[in-house]
Amino acid sequence: MYEIWLAMNIVWEIAMGIWPALLLAALAWIALVAAALRRPGSRWAAGLGPAAMAGVAVAVAAVFAVPWLTHSSIAEMGYWVDWANLAAIALGFGAIAAAYAWPVAAMRRG
Amino acid sequence: MQPLKARAEPSAALRVDPCVDPSDCPDTSRRRWMQAMLLAPAAVAGTGRPGIARASIRTSAHIVIAGSGLGGIAVAARLGRLLDGARITIVDRKEEHNYQPGYTLVATGVWPVAKVRERNADLQPARVEWVKEMVAGFDPASNSLTTESGRRIAYDYLVVATGVHLDYAQIAGMDVSAIGSNGLASVYPSPQAAEATWQAMQAFTRTGGEALMTLPSTPLKCAGAPLKMTFMLRDRLRQAGMLEKSKITFESALGNVFSVPTVNDNVLSRWKTLGIGVEFNHRLESIDIGARRATFATADGGKLERPYDFIHVVPPMRAPDAVRDSDLASKQAPFAAGGWLEVDKSTLQHKRYPNVFGIGDVNGTPRGKTAATVKKSAPVVAHNLAEVIAGRSANLSFDGYTSCPLITREGSAMLIEFDYEGRLVPSLPMISPLQDSYFAWLMKDRMLKPAYLAVARGRV
Ligand SMILES: Cc1cc2nc3c(=O)[nH]c(=O)nc-3n(C[C@H](O)[C@H](O)[C@H](O)COP(=O)(O)OP(=O)(O)OC[C@H]3O[C@@H](n4cnc5c(N)ncnc54)[C@H](O)[C@@H]3O)c2cc1C
Repeated sequence: MYEIWLAMNIVWEIAMGIWPALLLAALAWIALVAAALRRPGSRWAAGLGPAAMAGVAVAVAAVFAVPWLTHSSIAEMGYWVDWANLAAIALGFGAIAAAYAWPVAAMRRG
Repeated sequence: MQPLKARAEPSAALRVDPCVDPSDCPDTSRRRWMQAMLLAPAAVAGTGRPGIARASIRTSAHIVIAGSGLGGIAVAARLGRLLDGARITIVDRKEEHNYQPGYTLVATGVWPVAKVRERNADLQPARVEWVKEMVAGFDPASNSLTTESGRRIAYDYLVVATGVHLDYAQIAGMDVSAIGSNGLASVYPSPQAAEATWQAMQAFTRTGGEALMTLPSTPLKCAGAPLKMTFMLRDRLRQAGMLEKSKITFESALGNVFSVPTVNDNVLSRWKTLGIGVEFNHRLESIDIGARRATFATADGGKLERPYDFIHVVPPMRAPDAVRDSDLASKQAPFAAGGWLEVDKSTLQHKRYPNVFGIGDVNGTPRGKTAATVKKSAPVVAHNLAEVIAGRSANLSFDGYTSCPLITREGSAMLIEFDYEGRLVPSLPMISPLQDSYFAWLMKDRMLKPAYLAVARGRV
């Protein structure tokens, strides 16, 4: 339980260190969603597939990019804990990419 | 000397569960964790900081904290929340707060130096008075200390958090300002020294040659740092294609390279494979920086002179003069030699002055000189001090938790965690302490500084 609390605090401190960028990113996402909602004929359901594809592509790219960006490499994955962490981080990036891609894809289909 | 119970005003009406923040209680229950989960967003909304508990003990006591490194600041932040009405004073001249665990990354070219430099003012808790002077002497018999300008500050309770003194003076010929030139490296003293060490290491990886990595016999802060520097030097030589032209020898003043036997054996077997030589019972006695020659005292009383192209000097360490020369210092072996603070290793309360507590590197305890130790012991010190102020006895115990992500090469590390007895105590059951791991490296590179800041703010 303490480790979960610690992890929450680590995320909080990282967020505090880059909050202007996070704020801009959040505003950009809200603007995208608002634009898609206001646009007549946006097809959210149809946009889901392409958004998921974009998410998967980013997650796969992140599997290779994240170790490199952290001065390491995929060859340094020592045991399953390393792979599990890398997978979680990559999935996180994938989910964010999908969240941005969804309104964009919904508008393109509209 | 008795704790000053008369000034404490414990109030049942105002008392709340001090374990609202789960880190306040090592054996946190599920119920408390749920409380913390529920309170965290409210605390964030209300104060801009997560997990802040309400004050629990009313007191007008004056608490003085000597030292504003991680230990001093973390305890101040926690006491500010546990105590209502207390006057808290921090005494330390240092304006810059250094993230010392990042020094090894700066000294090996992984991080820019800016990442280990913070403003101390940004970390000082609210409503704490900051006296920007060093303590020149402690007089625990009169519950007071004197600063370097001669100012006398009286206290009801004292927390000693002065860290260690790097005793380079014990090495004849050593000059800290020369680090970075003539193949002289030393990661310990400052961000500047860490940066200069990287310059010396880069120069060495261009030429190759003979490298000496030293280890003194005294207790060390982050005893893993000399090992990390050795692993990383070898990796930088490999990356530069200079392994064939180089030889690394680790010169230990002890009969081992690390005090935890399983870790020691693991490191030695790795070094054997990597071609890193080890010599035991060689204590660096003097150095001729210009001539690049080091002289070691050997176990049989002899002397051994070694030429080198690169040397990493780890200084002997002891308590700062103000502690060592006071009655707060330990009177018994093995801690008397370094003048370490005489605390009970479980409660971290002074053994002879019950209104005095110790936190961090200055404590005369077996092992436990890391930021990770402060993370786990600051809640214990703050809680026990609050209990003593309330007229009760120190009742939380610290197990000596010490941790060190031991870098084995760029991109990989081992996450070593152990207690006073040298038992490996991984905080997550799936962690394999002696396993080369990207996760351990990622923690060192990206997660431990945020964790350190959360410790300084008294949250974890
Ligand atoms: C190279 C290196 C690598 C490290 N790596 C790790 C790691 O990987 N993991 C880890 O957990 N830990 C690591 N550490 C250890 C960690 O940084 C320390 O254990 C931690 O900072 C201890 O905190 P402290 O408050 O006891 O001492 P410090 O943070 O050193 O603070 C002591 C403070 O006391 C002040 N002071 C000294 N004398 C006086 C006086 N007379 N009067 C008033 N104030 C005084 C100083 O100015 C300073 O501000 C490393 C340390 C170094 C140097």
